[in-house]
Amino acid sequence: MLSFVTSIVSGKDLSEDDVRPALGKLKEQLMTKNVARDIADKICDSVCSSLISKRLESFTSVQSVVKSAIEDALTRILTPKQSVDILAEIKIAREQGRPYVIVFCGVNGVGKSTTLSKVAYWLTQNNLQVLIAACDTFRSGAVEQLRVHARNLDIPLYEKGYGKDAASIAKDAIRHGAEIGADVVLVDTAGRMQGNEPLMRALVKLVNVNKPDKILFVGEALVGNDAVDQLSEFNRLLGDLSTLPSPRLIDGIVLTKFDTIDDKVGAAVSMVYTTGQPIVFVGVGQTYMDLKRCNVKSLVKALLK
Amino acid sequence: MVLADLGKSITGALRKMTNSTTIDEAVLDDLLKEISRALLQADINVRQVTSLRNNVKAAVNFDEMASGLSRRRMIQKAVFDELLKMVDSGGKAYVPKKGKSNIIMFVGLQGSGKTTTCTKFAYHYQRKGWKVCLVCADTFRAGAFDQLRQNATKAKVPYYGSYTETDPVKLAIDGVEQFKAEGYEIIIVDTSGRHKQEEALFEEMKQVEQAVRPDDIVFVMDSSIGQTAFDQASAFKSQVSVGSVIITKLDGHAKGGGALSAVAATRSPIIFIGTGEHIQEFEPFVAKSFVQRLLGMGDVSGLVSA
Ligand SMILES: Nc1nc2c(ncn2[C@@H]2O[C@H](COP(=O)(O)OP(=O)(O)OP(=O)(O)O)[C@@H](O)[C@H]2O)c(=O)[nH]1
Ligand SMILES: Nc1nc2c(ncn2[C@@H]2O[C@H](COP(=O)(O)OP(=O)(O)OP(=O)(O)O)[C@@H](O)[C@H]2O)c(=O)[nH]1
Ligand SMILES: [Mg+2]
Ligand SMILES: [Mg+2]
Repeated sequence: MLSFVTSIVSGKDLSEDDVRPALGKLKEQLMTKNVARDIADKICDSVCSSLISKRLESFTSVQSVVKSAIEDALTRILTPKQSVDILAEIKIAREQGRPYVIVFCGVNGVGKSTTLSKVAYWLTQNNLQVLIAACDTFRSGAVEQLRVHARNLDIPLYEKGYGKDAASIAKDAIRHGAEIGADVVLVDTAGRMQGNEPLMRALVKLVNVNKPDKILFVGEALVGNDAVDQLSEFNRLLGDLSTLPSPRLIDGIVLTKFDTIDDKVGAAVSMVYTTGQPIVFVGVGQTYMDLKRCNVKSLVKALLK
Repeated sequence: MVLADLGKSITGALRKMTNSTTIDEAVLDDLLKEISRALLQADINVRQVTSLRNNVKAAVNFDEMASGLSRRRMIQKAVFDELLKMVDSGGKAYVPKKGKSNIIMFVGLQGSGKTTTCTKFAYHYQRKGWKVCLVCADTFRAGAFDQLRQNATKAKVPYYGSYTETDPVKLAIDGVEQFKAEGYEIIIVDTSGRHKQEEALFEEMKQVEQAVRPDDIVFVMDSSIGQTAFDQASAFKSQVSVGSVIITKLDGHAKGGGALSAVAATRSPIIFIGTGEHIQEFEPFVAKSFVQRLLGMGDVSGLVSA
C-alpha cells in the first residue's frame, strides 16, 4: 500500500527528484538492451528536462509518465526524417542515362559483402540490371566470395583481383556498368577499423573519385558501445579527409545480424542517434531473402519490454 | 592499449579516493559508481557490473578497519581482485603436446574472425617449430575455402579443403585423418560462423566435434560485441567443450568488455588477442599482467599481498 501511495504524485509539478529514480531504471534497461551508455545517458537527460515542471495528472504514476516519454523519444529518434526510396532514386538516375552507384562500407566482418549480395538479389527482383564491383582488393577470398554470389544470382561481376587501387577499380566498374546498361552498380569495399587513417583515406578517395549516389554504412546489431565510435569516426573522417568543398558523408545504415541478438536491439538506437541517418535495411540471416526494412514500432517495444 | 580508457577511468577513480581525507561508505559508493560507469561504457555485461559492485562492498568491512591507509588498500585490492576474476576464469588453457596430433577446433559467431585467427594461430606455432596445418570445414560461407587457402599460402602452412564437398563433418574427418597420418602436430579445424538462434547450425557444430574429437575448442569473439556477448558465449559453451577464448579486432577502438563477458560465460581463459588483419598481429594473453596494465600498476606486489 505504501509503495502504491508514493508512486502517485498527483496534481503536482514534477521535479528532477521525482523523475530520476524511474529514469535510472529505464536507463539500465536500455543498456541491458545494448544501447550505448552515452546514448542512454543523453536520451534520459533530455527526457528528464522535458518532464521537469510538467504537471502530473491525477492518477498517473511517475513511472508511467516517464516510460511513455522515453517511448516517444525513442520513436522520434528511430523514425527517419525523410523517407528513403532507393528504387525511385534509381529510376531518376536511369532517366539521366547513368547507373546508380551504392557503396557499402564499415568495419571488418560486419556483413558488407553479404548485404551487398542481398541488395543485388532484391534489385533483380525489381527487374533492375545490377553490376557488382569487387573493390575489396585486400582480404583473402574477398573476390571469390563475390564471384560465388554473382554466379548464384546470375549477375555480372567486375573484378581486377587483389592488391590494386580500389578507387580506380570502382571507376572502371562504373564505366563498364554504363556500357552494359546496368541500372545499378554495387561497390563492395574492404572492412576497415574507424581509427585506421590510411585505410579511411583510401575510402575517402574512392568516394571522391566516384561520387556514389548512396554511401551505406554497414554495422552489426551485435556491436556495443563501439557503435557510436564507428559511426562518428567514419563520418568525421569522410568529412575531414575529403578535399571536396562539400564532402560526402554516410547516407544510411544497414543493421546486420539482427537474427543473432534476441531482443537486445539497442545498437539500432546508438547508430541512428549518432548519425541522424535512417536504417535503410536490416539483415536477418545468411540467405538472399534475409533483408528487411526496419519496423520502428516493434523496435521500441522490444527496447521497453 | 587494449581497454585503455577503462583503465584510465578506474585508476582516476581510485586516485580520487586516495586523495579524499576520510574514507567511508560514501566515498566507496562514489568510487563504485564511477567504476561501474566505466565498465558499462566498456560493454561489460550489466549483471556482471552489479555483481562486481556487490562483491567489492562485501569484501570491504569498515568496522574492522582501523586506519584510512588500510581502508584504501583493502578497497584497491578488492577492485583488483574483482577485475582479475572478470578476465581470468581460473581455468587452465590446453597446452599442445609434442609428439602427438593436437586437434584444435575454432568456433564462433559469423564474422568474428575465425578464419583469420586460425591462420595467425597456425603461424604462431609454426614459427616456434611445430608442424602445423589447416583444415577448412566451412562449406557454407561463399569463398570460405579460397579465403583459407590464400591465407595458408601466405603463411606457408599446408591446408585441406574442397570446392565441391558440401558436408562439413566429412571434410573435417577427411582433413584431420590425412594430416594425422602425415604426422602433423597441430591440426587446426576452421568452421562456419553460427549463432544460438539457429539450432541446425549448433547441431552441425556438435557433429564436427564428435567426429574429430578435438583436444581444444577455441571460441573466437569480436571485441566490439555488446550485451549479447554473454548469451552467445554461454550458448556455445553449453553445446560443445569450449576450452579457450581468443578476442579479435582489438586494434579498433572497442573497449573489449563485451568480449570479456565471454570469459565469465565460458569459464575459459583468453589465450590470444588479435590486433590487426595481418598474420603477425596476434599476441599471447596473460590475465594478470593485463589487469595490472589496465590499472596502470607497474608493480602490484603491495596490492596483492595486502
Ligand atoms: N546471422 C547472420 N549472419 C550474417 C548476416 N549478414 C552477414 N552475415 C554473416 O557474417 C559473416 C561475414 O559477412 P561478410 O559479408 O563477409 O562481411 P564483410 O563485412 O564483407 O567482411 P569483410 O569484408 O571481411 O570486412 C558471414 O558469415 C555472413 O554470412 C545476417 O544478417 N545474419
Ligand atoms: N582489424 C582487424 N581485423 C580482423 C582481425 N581479425 C580478423 N579481422 C577481419 O575481420 C573480418 C572477418 O574475419 P574472418 O576471419 O573472415 O571471420 P570468420 O569468423 O571466419 O567469418 P565467418 O567464417 O563468415 O563466420 C576480416 O575482414 C578479417 O580481416 C583483427 O584482429 N583486427
Ligand atoms: Mg567483405
Ligand atoms: Mg570463416
